[in-house]
Parts: sequence; C-alpha cells; structure tokens
Amino acid sequence: MTSTQLGAAGSEGLDSEEPHGLDETAFYREVRSFSFWFEAVEGYLEGRPHGYVPSTPDEELDPRRRERLITTLCNYCVGEAAALEGASGMVRLAPNHNSRIFMATQVADEARHLEVFLHRLGELGVTDPELEVRRRAHPSIVAFKHQLLELVDAGDWDAAVFALNVLLETLEFTVFRHHARTADVITSQILDGVVSDERRHLGFGENTLGHHLVGHPTDRTRLIEIKGHLDSLVMGALDGAYGDLGLHRGERPKLGRDYLQAVERLGILS
Amino acid sequence: MTGTSQVHQTLETDREVADDDRRTFVLDETGFKEVPKRWRRFYRHWQGEGDSLGPNEVICPVCKVVIRSTREFRPGDRVYCMPCMSRMVVVRRDDGTLEAEVTY
Repeated sequence: MTSTQLGAAGSEGLDSEEPHGLDETAFYREVRSFSFWFEAVEGYLEGRPHGYVPSTPDEELDPRRRERLITTLCNYCVGEAAALEGASGMVRLAPNHNSRIFMATQVADEARHLEVFLHRLGELGVTDPELEVRRRAHPSIVAFKHQLLELVDAGDWDAAVFALNVLLETLEFTVFRHHARTADVITSQILDGVVSDERRHLGFGENTLGHHLVGHPTDRTRLIEIKGHLDSLVMGALDGAYGDLGLHRGERPKLGRDYLQAVERLGILS
Repeated sequence: MTGTSQVHQTLETDREVADDDRRTFVLDETGFKEVPKRWRRFYRHWQGEGDSLGPNEVICPVCKVVIRSTREFRPGDRVYCMPCMSRMVVVRRDDGTLEAEVTY
C-alpha cells in the first residue's frame, strides 16, 4: 500500500477530486471523451514513437525464438486488423454520440497497435510484413475476423460489441499481458502500451452490453447463440497463440478465467 | 469533468450511509499513467504475489487495476474504475473481505 493514513474522519474527508464522487453522467462524459483518451495515452505513449523508448537496446534473439516471435506478431496483426476494421465500421452503428466518440478513439488505438506490430516485424528482419502476416496467420483468428466483420456488415451493434469488445479484447488482454512478462524488452514495452489501451476497450464492451441487457434481457438468448458460434474460434486462436509462444498446456494462463468471469457477469454463459 | 455541485451532492449521499469513524488517506502517486494526471493517484497496478490491499483499496474485477480512495471503503460505497470505465459497488464477501461488484 502506498497511501498514508491520516486518521479517523467522516465522509467530509472525501477528496473533492475523488473520481468516485462523480455522478454517473459526469463519469461517462469524462471517460468517454476525446480529452480523457488523449491525456491517458499521452501518459504512457509519450516519447515512444513505435511503442517503446527509442534508446532501449534490442536483444539478440536466437533463430528459434525470433521465428516464434515473428509468427506471434503476425497473428497479433490479424487480430488488430480485425479490431481496426471492426471498430471503424462500428462508429456508424453506435446508438449514440458518446459511444460513437469512444469508438473513434478505439479506431485510433487499433491502428496504432497494427502499426507498432508491423514495425516490430520489420525490426526483426521481415521485409514484407503484410505478406508474412498472410502466410503465418492461424485459420482460427482469420475465421474470427470474417465472423466479426459479418456482424458489423449486418449492422448488428450488440453482437459486434460482444464479438469485438468482449471476446477479442479479452483474448488479447490475456495473451498480451502474459506475453509482456516473458518477451524481449522492446516487445514487452510495446505490449504494455497495448494492454493499457485494451483495458478501455474491454471495459466499454462489458459496460455497454451490461447496460443494454438490463433493459433488454431477452437479447441474452441471441448473444448466447453468437457466443456458441465464436467460442471455438477464440479458443483455437488462443491455442495457436500459446503454441507460438512455446507454452506447454500446463503453463498456459487461463483465458477461460477472465473470459468466463466477464460473460458470467453479463449473464450470457451458455 | 463534473461541477462542484455534483461532488457535494455525492458527499451528502455518502454521509447518510457512512460511519463517522472512517479512516482517511493521503494518496501518493503510484506510477500509474493510464488516466489523465488528476486521476492517477486513485489507481495503481496490482504487483502480484506479495502485494496486499489497503482498507481504501479494491481490485477492479474487469481490468484488474487497484482502485483507491482517500477514505476507507465500506459496503455500499460506489467506486469507478476509470481505466476500463466501469461502475461498481463495494460489497462484503462471506469471508469478510471487501470486493467491488460491477453494476450496469
């Protein structure tokens, strides 16, 4: 704990700048604003043009580890491209300006993620990253991307939020957090910055859907069906990612835990 | 950003449910940078094994960040996780620990 106890006091001791003192409308106005997004990303990205501090020395990776990292980053690129294309389509689907503005910030985040991963591939000696991404992409994450974009193209906001901001973002949040702990220092810094963005995306997804389901509880049935279609693809993508990272089954952190907790809170467990 | 009146309104509400003996805390910066500067001291990263929560701290179940307050938490308190934009209420579990429960 890093706070200093002052002593007993009543509620008048509540700091006037305490975020927990905001009312709900003010809270959402604050956290879904462009200025909030800009100040937040400035905090952890300033001075990191490609997602890491430029003076960071690049470790020399043995050929096997380098190959694995390239495959991993190629698959991250598929996920980020899916998120970028999905989020940009969802700007138009958003049911209100607050959500529309938030999705616009997410589009910028996803574009940056794709850019920093492609740049890292170049640093690892990949001369044509786009070609390499196509060659190394796992079928599950490619199929997930197609499914997500079909939901977006169909104009299905709730399903798209579930697929992108709950399913895909939870997958990325779990894998990236784990990978950041074991990766070379530059990749680790890049992943840390991406994870910070993912917090906003998955939180938006859960809270938007949760709020919607309070008023429309029968929509759960449809989301459970969509979950049934997408679950195997998400798990396949996760297996592929952990395999690329060289993790044996017993070492793999449980996506299931974070993911199941999220869908359980939303009441859309099948 | 909210106006002063909104903060005062919440203080009044809290006064109704709070005991008078709550401990208060001065929050230091923790190196947390995922929210604008004025909000940063209200959040920190969980440090894993060896870390522990203070009486003014709960973990966000959505994004796993530690949420902090200038005063001790009590069941029924409202908390916000700005990094993932979640609203929560503090609840007491069967084992006596305090947790944040997401509200939609």
